[in-house]
Amino acid sequence: MKIGISGKGGSGKTTISATLARVFAKKGFPVLAIDGDPNPNLGMALGLDAQTLEETHSIPRGSITERVEGADGKMRMVLKDTVENIAALHGIHAPDGIRLIVGTKVETAGAG
Amino acid sequence: MGEIVSEADKITVMDMEASLEHLSRGTVRHVDVMLIVTEPYYRSLETARRTLPLARALGINHIYAVVNKYRSAEDEKAVTDFCKNNDLEIIAKIPFDPEVTQADLEGKSLYDFNSAAPVVKEVEKLADTLRQRVPLNNSSASKVLTKPNC
Repeated sequence: MKIGISGKGGSGKTTISATLARVFAKKGFPVLAIDGDPNPNLGMALGLDAQTLEETHSIPRGSITERVEGADGKMRMVLKDTVENIAALHGIHAPDGIRLIVGTKVETAGAG
Repeated sequence: MGEIVSEADKITVMDMEASLEHLSRGTVRHVDVMLIVTEPYYRSLETARRTLPLARALGINHIYAVVNKYRSAEDEKAVTDFCKNNDLEIIAKIPFDPEVTQADLEGKSLYDFNSAAPVVKEVEKLADTLRQRVPLNNSSASKVLTKPNC
């Protein structure tokens, strides 16, 4: 089950995302958490300590994404691999076995 | 590890950016469920209302509002009425809880701060409701689109 969580800034979506991830993980489900916010703080909300977050290295953009032409003729960046495989290779280990991918680290890394 | 679980048992939780723009970029095309978190005040509810048709246009079958940080029965009624009038189905109502701020100030997750907090209890109910409403083998392809190159 893939769950997207949206809402206005400050609505509490990060707290709800993180808590939902922890609750499912505690129930024994394998959980992948994706931080798609440009100002990522899902890691801390999941229970990662500041040092772990600091030490987390960025994922080189070119290593996981590629350009493809969409059905509408527009070029898009798509993931080269499944989210699961990317998480296995690049995911951060969060509490209760949760794997975390920080989307914006993907977007900005390797841009220069 | 231990227990063998099937691919269908996997749960992916995506914390999305605040703007509505990402919805038109197809970032979330492959989600099975869209939860729209809304506070009981007008601008937040307005955002929720505007998100609904965008999520529908992406073909997402399960779209629900999660009412967050309500402080009173009046709050709860106002937000329930708004959602009813705007075709938004509420899947969870989460009360305001000062522990969320306290946990944040201590740099802890809410779950680690107090796993019995009212917010955690309501999210547990939400997880159970999602399990009941969304078939586990409903997941679409694993490849998700990211932002278009720009």
